[in-house]
Amino acid sequence: MMRSRLGFLFLIAVTILVSGCNMLGVKPWQRDVLAREEMQLGADPLDAAIDDHLYFSKEASSGGRSYAGGGCGCN
Amino acid sequence: MQLKRGAFNTQSARRRLMAASCALLGAGVARSQETHMAPPDSGLLEDWSVDSALAYYHEDGRIEAIEPVVDVSKVFADGQAVNFNVTFDALSGASPNGALTSHTAQTFASPSGKPEHRYTTAPGQLPVDPDYQDDRIAVGGNWTVSISRLDQVSVGGKVSAEDDFFSATVSASISHDFNEKNTTLSFGVDNEFDSIHPIGAAPVPGSDYALAQKQTGGKTKDGVGMLLGITQVITRTWLSEFNISVDRFQGYLNDPYKITSIIDSAGGTTGYEYESRPDQRTRKSAYWENRVAWSSPVSTALSLRYMSDDWGVRSDTAQLHLRWSLSARDRYIEPTIRWYRQTAADFYAPFVLNTDMPPSGYESSDSRLGAFRAMTYGVKFAQKLPGLGSRAESELSVRAEYYQQTFDERMAVPLGLQGLDLYPGLKAILVQVGWRF
Repeated sequence: MMRSRLGFLFLIAVTILVSGCNMLGVKPWQRDVLAREEMQLGADPLDAAIDDHLYFSKEASSGGRSYAGGGCGCN
Repeated sequence: MQLKRGAFNTQSARRRLMAASCALLGAGVARSQETHMAPPDSGLLEDWSVDSALAYYHEDGRIEAIEPVVDVSKVFADGQAVNFNVTFDALSGASPNGALTSHTAQTFASPSGKPEHRYTTAPGQLPVDPDYQDDRIAVGGNWTVSISRLDQVSVGGKVSAEDDFFSATVSASISHDFNEKNTTLSFGVDNEFDSIHPIGAAPVPGSDYALAQKQTGGKTKDGVGMLLGITQVITRTWLSEFNISVDRFQGYLNDPYKITSIIDSAGGTTGYEYESRPDQRTRKSAYWENRVAWSSPVSTALSLRYMSDDWGVRSDTAQLHLRWSLSARDRYIEPTIRWYRQTAADFYAPFVLNTDMPPSGYESSDSRLGAFRAMTYGVKFAQKLPGLGSRAESELSVRAEYYQQTFDERMAVPLGLQGLDLYPGLKAILVQVGWRF
């Protein structure tokens, strides 16, 4: 169940992101919107770090966006 | 984590911490004034970006925490980038000890084992140690360097210290751009080493709480993780990222302060035992994030995560940020909603029957391993301000979040436990101010 679900997600994403990557994307002079602060991955690193610490200490899951370790004894 | 009484003046420490935090956030004001008197490039941090925040977290009837964070970073002309960050946590309040709510009063010893630290929980109340305390300081850094026009290598480290816990993590990653830098593949590894010295020593897992059987020496656990990611520019207004990660921890994975109630067939509490978890855990997750600019002022960041582990926990997470820029992008408001659900670990049980001990030998009543749903509702407001020194602009922000857990899988309970709130859930708020300059 777990493997099939992960595999399904992986298949979808890889299909979209890799197989079609040559047809996707923009030219360098079309990156104006992508250059905006809110379009950056990890645009608010401190907000994310504080939230991740909260969720790490209150839930059984962590990571995904980055490493899953918490570096604290709260879980 | 630390549970002890009387060794620390909480109010005094909180005032000192608040003063230090205000000084931290106020440093920007001082720099602003200095820049009026000195050339723009004369400051020590002139070419550095500073991101700072002060967060206050409060749980309904339980823990509260103050967390100042500061991160400084710099990008050099040759593409190298470095950053350093410092985080401090001061937690205090009441923490559930794992025992079950009962119709009768319950008395517990504190982890220190000292008679004067005993506490009593009233009938119908969730047993909590009223003197929970935890101070943590964490320091980290990261260095990224380009090894070619399309390849980057990054290495980092982090140490974190509490009175009863020390953690050190090292990480490294490599990324490669192709397809006119519209696609990035990345691969990273990390290794975490933890040392645990519980207050009053680590209990023997699964042992009788009344006998207070403790193990000698400290405990350790270590973990190794890998992350494979791909980032793709889809269109001029759509960026997508997909990650697959796996990590494996082994060693002492118990919470040394958690106990489980032993219940007889009538629902009466006959005793308690320390929790006992497996000494290995492997987690796998898939994460997908999409950032889309819908119009000039409106953009969204939607992330989905699926995680599973070999303890039987499965979880789904969906989070949406919507940013609405106002006043020629000088300010923005950003509502957030997060939905989360998890299944229980195979060995989770809110209590054990004295006639039916778990066949695996593992058990934990830690509600974080139970089945629940959680919702987070938040909003952030940020105002752009004139830059300091050579910085083009600075940003002052405030945000607030409300977090609620609701347990939705409930065991059949003996008659003597009916009418009690055995799954109280959790309600918490977070308030944060931030200054980036």
